[in-house]
Amino acid sequence: MKRTTLFFILIVSAAALFAAPDFKAVLKQVDDLSDFGKQDYSAVYDIVTEKPGDKPSAMQIKIFRRDQHDQIVILFQKPESQKGQGYLKIDDNVWFYDPESGNYSHSTMKENISNTKAKNSDFKKYTFADDFDVVKSDEGKLGIFDVWILTLQAKNNEVSYQKIRLTIRKDKPIPLKEEDFSVSDRLMRTTYFLPTYVEAAGRLVPAKIKMVDEINKGEQSVLTISDVLVAPLPDKVFTKTFLEQAQ
Amino acid sequence: METIKLALRNLSRQKRRTFLLGGAIAFGIMIVTVINGFVGAFIINISENFANLAAGHIFVQGVEKSSSGKELEVIHDDSVLLQAAKEAGIPAKYLTKRSSIDQGTLVFAGKTATLTIDGVDFASETFLPDRLVFEQGGMEGMRDRQGLIISEPIAKRLDVQIGDRVLAQFKTYTGQNNVGEFAIAGITVDPGILGSMAGYANKDYVNELLNLSPTDYQTLGFYLPSLDGMDQYGTALYTKLKAEAQVFDRSTTSQSQNFVRAMMQQGKTETWTGVKYRVYTLNDMLAQVKQIVDVLNKASLVILIVLFLIIVVGIINTFRIIMYERIREIGTMRSIGMQRRDVRNLFLYEATFLALGGVIVGILLALLIMGVVSLVNFGLNSPLFIILKNGHMTFRLTVARTVTDVVIVGLLTLGAAFFPARMAARLDPAVALRTVK
Repeated sequence: MKRTTLFFILIVSAAALFAAPDFKAVLKQVDDLSDFGKQDYSAVYDIVTEKPGDKPSAMQIKIFRRDQHDQIVILFQKPESQKGQGYLKIDDNVWFYDPESGNYSHSTMKENISNTKAKNSDFKKYTFADDFDVVKSDEGKLGIFDVWILTLQAKNNEVSYQKIRLTIRKDKPIPLKEEDFSVSDRLMRTTYFLPTYVEAAGRLVPAKIKMVDEINKGEQSVLTISDVLVAPLPDKVFTKTFLEQAQ
Repeated sequence: METIKLALRNLSRQKRRTFLLGGAIAFGIMIVTVINGFVGAFIINISENFANLAAGHIFVQGVEKSSSGKELEVIHDDSVLLQAAKEAGIPAKYLTKRSSIDQGTLVFAGKTATLTIDGVDFASETFLPDRLVFEQGGMEGMRDRQGLIISEPIAKRLDVQIGDRVLAQFKTYTGQNNVGEFAIAGITVDPGILGSMAGYANKDYVNELLNLSPTDYQTLGFYLPSLDGMDQYGTALYTKLKAEAQVFDRSTTSQSQNFVRAMMQQGKTETWTGVKYRVYTLNDMLAQVKQIVDVLNKASLVILIVLFLIIVVGIINTFRIIMYERIREIGTMRSIGMQRRDVRNLFLYEATFLALGGVIVGILLALLIMGVVSLVNFGLNSPLFIILKNGHMTFRLTVARTVTDVVIVGLLTLGAAFFPARMAARLDPAVALRTVK
């Protein structure tokens, strides 16, 4: 009897050990890691973009986020020629402001930031669990990390990419690599979240991100984060007036 | 009758003076007529070229609002549109049903170019191949489902040849990123700044890439036999369609005087379910071009007036000189019985014949210049493409405008001659006869 009980316990333990986790929950953890909830978040990103035959171009943007209300402001700080330009997202509306003309134009979170490989949506909190279903999971190793490789299929036809292959560390719900596929199932962009992090309000924010354009070979952007701050921001930051006065 | 003969004789007596004065009038009317001819054809050529680029004269776009509030351009079922068009009596020569990859990026061997790719059903749009002038390749390449026709500047920029396969990066009709592969089937001659940014592909493949179903499309275009009646048919279609379906208001708003822009704005602020239609015409799209035409028309009128004010000063001075030159002659004619009125009329007839001669010569010269210029072939790849007709500059004169110009010239010349004529008529014959020049 004792032997049977022991055998049963061993079997259950082994099953628990080797059973795949609830990937939906894993995705939710990934999302939560980027969600600052009721806290406001700001950070500066230096973006260096390389294109074959061109000199690397550098730009700097400052991000202001209020995740609780899904609000984001992206303010261009460098180069001088684009200083003062910016995006403002309130609810489902995204505006682009150009200080030279003083005009706003409607935009989307799917737009690229200037000529970089980064999109506006790359700077908002993740919504993998809400927008995607996990259709396939694999195990693997990326560098020194054991990883889950999850294939995600969009739940609706309005998210930027129809399919994403997300490589997530097994030890912590931190993405290491994101491969974005077109509707026609062609790899368009690979994002590498290099495993150096900045801690902000108990969350790990990747300090360096590399985005590789898989269509335009040789083109890539490297994003380096600095001045990460999790602290209340004035309400006026998330207004058009702020963008107009920010220059 | 004698006065008229005298007037003609006087003009022929002073050939050089008549030639110079008449020449000045002819030059003025020639310049203004050429400008009028150019402006008259300008809007027609632009409209016709735009009609070819935009594939129609009257357009209907279907717009859905997604659950997230995004506008999705699509027409699923066009039966209500076709019925409304029938009821509106639109005499469509052709119908175009197109889907469009807006601002796609073509990628080939590290080079990129941005263009809009129109999905065309070549089986029904049989007129399009006739309008395309191929430099390389042709329609046979479009048998390949992934065939693509691009313009020469795009081909040069990408450094592609017929048969090369290029990638196209763009967004689906719901805004998702997508990539397609096209085979270069044809390279057309540079159709100018607007046309060069447009490419043509098979609609079923474009629909697949846009994530539309094979029978869907985005814009219905009606080609009319001519530009005449375009606005009237557009309004009739709008009225008929409004009774059967959801239609964007065509009235302007305070934010925008152009209602096409106002309709776009409505789409962003309103919510609705199902498909809502935008009805607009080529004239609506070219409203700003029409403003340019209005400005050109006003400018030509100002040029006419300024030119003739200068000429009027010349005529006044010349007729005053003529009066002093002929002062003893006037005295003699008055002494032998010529009435004051006849003396005044003599001067006015001279001015009238001068104006008439100048106007006729000026218009003839203008016609000659316009004829010669319109013979020049600027080529289909001219940067002036949009204002040309098949590579030629054309001119169009309206009778009303020409008559107006002639009347203005006539009145100004008569006005200029009137005061010296009156002065001559009021001369005392005895004083005139005594005057020594």
